[in-house]
Amino acid sequence: MPLARRRRPRPPLFAWLMVLPAVAVLLAVTIYPLIYSLRASFYRIELTFSTHWAWVGLDNYVRALTGDPRFWPAMYRSVQLVFFGVLIELVLGLGLALLLNRIARGRSVLTALLLIPVMMAPVVVATQGVVIFNVQFGPLNYLLSKLGVEGPIWLGDRAIALKTILLADVWQWTPFVAVIMLAGLKSLPSDLYEAAEVDGANAWQQFTSFTLPLLQPLIIVTVLLRAMDIFKVFDYVYVLTGGGPGDSTEVISFYTYLQGLQFFSFGYAAALSYLQLLLVSVFAAVLVRRMRKGLAT
Amino acid sequence: MNRPGRRRSGWGTALTWAVLLIALAFFVLPVVWIGLMSFKSQGEVFTYPPVFWPKNINLRYFGAALHGIGGKALKDSAIVASSSTAIALAVSVPTAYSISRFRVGGKNLAMWILSIRMFPPIASAIPLFLLFQKFGMLDTYWALIIAYLTFNVPFIVWLVKGFFDDLPRDLEEAALVDGSSPWQAFVRIALPLAVPGIITSGLLAFMFAWNEFLLALFLTRSQVRTLPVGLSSLVGGHEILWGQIGALAMMAILPVIILAVVLQRYIVRGLTLGAVKG
Repeated sequence: MPLARRRRPRPPLFAWLMVLPAVAVLLAVTIYPLIYSLRASFYRIELTFSTHWAWVGLDNYVRALTGDPRFWPAMYRSVQLVFFGVLIELVLGLGLALLLNRIARGRSVLTALLLIPVMMAPVVVATQGVVIFNVQFGPLNYLLSKLGVEGPIWLGDRAIALKTILLADVWQWTPFVAVIMLAGLKSLPSDLYEAAEVDGANAWQQFTSFTLPLLQPLIIVTVLLRAMDIFKVFDYVYVLTGGGPGDSTEVISFYTYLQGLQFFSFGYAAALSYLQLLLVSVFAAVLVRRMRKGLAT
Repeated sequence: MNRPGRRRSGWGTALTWAVLLIALAFFVLPVVWIGLMSFKSQGEVFTYPPVFWPKNINLRYFGAALHGIGGKALKDSAIVASSSTAIALAVSVPTAYSISRFRVGGKNLAMWILSIRMFPPIASAIPLFLLFQKFGMLDTYWALIIAYLTFNVPFIVWLVKGFFDDLPRDLEEAALVDGSSPWQAFVRIALPLAVPGIITSGLLAFMFAWNEFLLALFLTRSQVRTLPVGLSSLVGGHEILWGQIGALAMMAILPVIILAVVLQRYIVRGLTLGAVKG
């Protein structure tokens, strides 16, 4: 960073004035609400009955972590989605990127088309899922039946529904991972590969000894971005399953929504949202540290 | 690393293309299916085996959707997304410049702003619901416009800062030597050069607001209803009007497809918060 090293003793007043509006806005719309909800999380607030806030101390947190039979299962479902979602999207995305990197022409058209899912509202993706996964007239099970496979009841089977949510996420975000990986592949030094080829290294050896290690920083950032994003998944669940059948797709963000907007237990919902904030902060801290070091391809 | 000319058999290329085209079908056909659904009659939607092409191109569902909740939803989404983006741009661009050029607040301010972008929306939704209820602002445009600043201000600051970082500083320094004020150097020299980056960031911010659902679900009811909320209420309705759902979905998708084409080079940079330049 040659810019930082130039003589620049301290920012002028003018520079501080320029950041003032944004900092004021962020304090007002994020920090103040967060303090407000931290306070709310120490109260019992049942808006169905009254607007009265009753002090309960840490009870909401204790209830979530030890007493609530729905908290840990919901958390576990979210973690499952994160784990398998990140894994599948990374493998498929990297594979897709390797293929895209091989073709001589048409790459930018293909990439533009592949980015359509990434740009769509998750609610629209879920709506599309309602049609595609429909067991009576949906095209997916019809297609599977043509291939001689009996399609599952995508949204109505307790054992399948969470996997269907996962499929929606994989559909929407694999192209995103692919395009990131493609950017990484394009930045790799080609002379390295030419030398390896002269030495007789085969494609797999080149992949494991150059491509993967060189892409590693990019892969880590991608994993963190996707993990944070999948942990927040809400829209698919709301539209596709409503948390059901039974509680089989009740992920933590959806459960928090239920406690808030359905049961109107806002103190408890605030505590739940704080627990999620803490967990996401861990990922965010690692990611921010990586980005501070300045990862660029 | 792009080596199209390397020894590669015709079969290898054919296989690559075959897999890519299958992948393309997987990622794009569902969207085409929904698009075609918006032209189908209710009967055609329910046929088994499903029909791909509608018999007639039937535009009445677009009309019905526009007269039903769609027209209002389109308007509400446009108002909320564009107002929120405009306000976010106005407060964020000077900040981005200041952080880029003067390193105001050291690295901590920049990193603090970046980390706000990563908040789970549910953590904002709960307190904002309580606060807007207290101030009687639930179910208003302002509730959503303000709520969307929580992610769009950090996003624009961070992304536009990256674009300013890429600009050479020589012109501004020359202007300062010639007696311009720092503000003049910013407005007359840096700002015009950063316009492409600013527009890109603004369009992506618009898209985030356009697509947002959770906060809209918490903070609005009947007076304000954005497209995602309208769409979800149609899907959950008693009588499911598939044609209208398809039409509404298309209204939500078309603007972002146009963005995907226009912004292709910058989407990755935007969605990774500048971590990947693409």
